[in-house]
Parts: sequence; C-alpha cells; structure tokens
Amino acid sequence: MSILEVKNVSVSFGGQMIIDGVSFALEEGESLAIIGPNGSGKTMLLKAILNSIKYSGEIIKTGARIGYVPQKLDIERNLPLTVKEFFSLTRTKKLNENYTDNHVLEFVGFGQEYANKKFSELSAGEFQRILIAATILSKPNLLLFDEPTASVDVAGQETVYELLHRLQTKENVALILVSHDPSVVYQYANNVLCLNQSHKQVCYGAPREILTPEGFKNLYVSDHDNHHDLYVGDYNHHHH
Amino acid sequence: MELILPILISGTAVAIAAGYLGSFVLLRRMALVGDALSHVALPGIALGIMFHFNILIGSLTFLVLSVIIIWVVEHKTKLNVDTLVGVLFTLALAIGAILSSGEELLDSLFGNISKITNADFWIIIISSVAIVLALLILTRKLLLNMISKDIALSLGMKPHVIELLFLLIFALTVAIGIKFIGALLMGALVIIPAATARNLARNFKNYAVISVFMGAISVDFGIIIASLYNLDAGPVIVILASAFFFLSIFFKKR
Repeated sequence: MSILEVKNVSVSFGGQMIIDGVSFALEEGESLAIIGPNGSGKTMLLKAILNSIKYSGEIIKTGARIGYVPQKLDIERNLPLTVKEFFSLTRTKKLNENYTDNHVLEFVGFGQEYANKKFSELSAGEFQRILIAATILSKPNLLLFDEPTASVDVAGQETVYELLHRLQTKENVALILVSHDPSVVYQYANNVLCLNQSHKQVCYGAPREILTPEGFKNLYVSDHDNHHDLYVGDYNHHHH
Repeated sequence: MELILPILISGTAVAIAAGYLGSFVLLRRMALVGDALSHVALPGIALGIMFHFNILIGSLTFLVLSVIIIWVVEHKTKLNVDTLVGVLFTLALAIGAILSSGEELLDSLFGNISKITNADFWIIIISSVAIVLALLILTRKLLLNMISKDIALSLGMKPHVIELLFLLIFALTVAIGIKFIGALLMGALVIIPAATARNLARNFKNYAVISVFMGAISVDFGIIIASLYNLDAGPVIVILASAFFFLSIFFKKR
C-alpha cells in the first residue's frame, strides 16, 4: 500500500515556478532518491510533503508518521542545548518504550557520552547523525532526508546512507533521500526521481533504467538560458 | 524595609517571568522584536492615565492588539514584518507622546515602583505565575519550533499557533514589567539575564535557571540600592544586570 502519493504537485513563489508538476508514489519500506542540480526544487518538494509551504496538486499520506532530517536548523547551532535535551524534544512517548537515548546513539555509531554533549561541541557530521538519531526517537515510518550540500561524513564510520539503509531494512521505514550524489542513488534507492533546472520532473523509475548517460544529459541541461539559472540556485534560502 | 517588601516580591515575580521568557527570546534572536513590542504599550498607558483605568490593562490591550496584527501580517499577507514592527513602534511612541504629559511619559518609559498599587501587586503576581506555567507547559513545543519549524511540523505541531501563543506570553510579560521598570527598560530585563546565562550554561535547563536567577538578583539588589540612595530603581536594575553580563564574559563556556 502506498504510504505517500504525490499527484501533479507544483509550487510557485512570486510568479516563479519552483516545482512544476511532480508525481510519484512511495510504498511502505521503499526508498526514493530525488536528484537534480542545485535549485531544482528538491528541498522544496520535501517541504511541500511536510505541508510547510503552499502547493497545488495533491499529496496523500496514508498512515504516515513523518520524520524529517533538515539540511540545517532555523537558528545557529551554538545553543545551550545538549543532545539528551534535544532527544527529549523529538521523542514520541507512546510508541517507543524500547527506544532509549543510548539505543539511538548506538544506532548512529556514538557512545553514551554523546548524550551530554552540547550542540556546539559537535562537528557538522556528528550533528547530522544526532539529527537522524532524534528522528528515530519519533518512530517515523516515512523519513525525509535532506542531504547537506557539503559532504559532512565522519571519517572511519559507515556512511549516513548505509545508516539510513539499515533503518529502512530493519525498521521498514520508507525513505525519501534528497541527494547530489548519483552513486548513492544507485546503491540505496529503489526508485529515483529527477528534477531539472526548470523544476520539471524529467525521470522517475528504477535507478538502473534511469541513470543512463542519456538520462543525465536530460537532467543537467536546461531549457532556460544560463542567465536565468543563476537565480534559481538561491531559492533554498529564500522561503522563510 | 517593610515598605519595600511588596515591591521586592512583585519585582522578583516580574524578573522570574522576564528571565524565563528571555531564555527563549534570545535563542531566536528576537531581541529587537521584544524591544519594539515594549514601546507599543505607550498609547495604552497614556489612555489609561487619561481615562483613569489601570494602565496595566491599557498597555496589555495595545500589546495584544499589536501582537495579533504582527502575527496576521506575517502569516496572511506578503508584507514585511520587520518594516511593520518598525512603523508600529514609532507610531505608538508618537501617539503615546502626544497623549501623555512629560512626567507621565517619563514614568512609563523608565517605570516608577513607588506607584505600584495593591491591585497592580496582585495582577503582577498572578500574571507571573501564569507566564511561568505557560512557558513550562510549552517548553518542548517552543524549543523545537525555534530549532526547526519543519521538524516541529513533521511531529504534528502547529508552528503558527505556537508562535502566536509565544507572542501573547511575550506581550503579557512586557505589560507587567512596564509599571515596574518602564517600557524602555523592560526589554533589557528580558534580554540581559538570558545573555548572561548563555555565557555560563551547560545545558538548556541550566540556562533557564541561571537566567531567572540573574534577573531576580538584579531586580532585588537594584531595588534595595535604589531605596538606600534614593535613586530610580529601573535604571539601577539595568546597570546591575549589565554588570553581571560583563562579568559573565570572563566565565564564558564554549
């Protein structure tokens, strides 16, 4: 059964199309990767699914408990807030008697000592794992993961994608990954959806069918002129 | 000393409410909004004086009204909120200045604790308790909403409603502080103790507690010093709070 159905969804800001007619469906425990150049509307598509921005078209969630891992926070990270305190904000009380802070810390590859660390003491890579751990505490069955533009992995550990893949297979969590890295998509996604620079859905299907040289050409070549594309890249920062 | 006991008690209540509120305000860098908000109370104060009703009620009415206007503009229109806050603030200041006499204006800008009536005392105590309770109940939602609106949304929270509640709590806090420390200085009582606490805190709980404590000791010592040397309490309180802030820089934790 589909946990999420997106039908002909469009988003526009001040007369500019940000997303132009996107449709896809996601089954329980399935993973979908959204790829496309910067400014193609990937993050905005996640925000539409979250109901954080206005959109036209239809988004149907059936029994979905959404977990969201944002690219960045709304405020600076030098907060007087510890990992443990952050966990207490996202923990869903009813659903997770078996989930403790230590469990989720272990799941993302950290020891118990991380519970008392302040946000400001974490590296970008560590912080992203903490965001994922906090999301697990809300026991989602649909996880939206927005990959930061800069690679932030912690050296010597399994990649964030391996971690998310483990979450998908162990807990049957459906995943939507926004990614810039096609190799990630190839390894971890059941389906891939591509947005191009004019915000249109230019492919949708299994990675091995989609990620052909011809497919890439369609994705990264725009039907607008270059001048216009310079502006498109900034949309992610403008929606607040 | 007996005479200043009710003032000390109500002052401590205001400081606790303001200090706790401040620990949230500072997270979101809402300092400027808070400052502007405190000035919006002026016309209400002036009207209260003119028509002989409690100025606390007058200022609260204006504060709640502006909070709702700001909230509606932010969510229902495409106007720029910062600009609107700026315009509302100057407009309120101008109307307040026209409506009130020089001495009254000075009192409402810098506060006058000698003018706290029995009714004021109880309004301040009850409101402070309500503010602290409301913040305690809303802590999880407020924090998550400030950290990431989208995470809050994903967990089924309603960011717009949380924001409105927060602004209303903010308005009530400013209102009870105005008679005490004045519209100009109330912003300081919200921001400075939290800024001090931020330098010293190890975690959020710690931060809120230190902020409340810093607010309370600034107000209490401020009132005592002012009464001993026959000074206005408001400015003394702010000077003390600022002194604690500068001291805290030397103990700053990462």
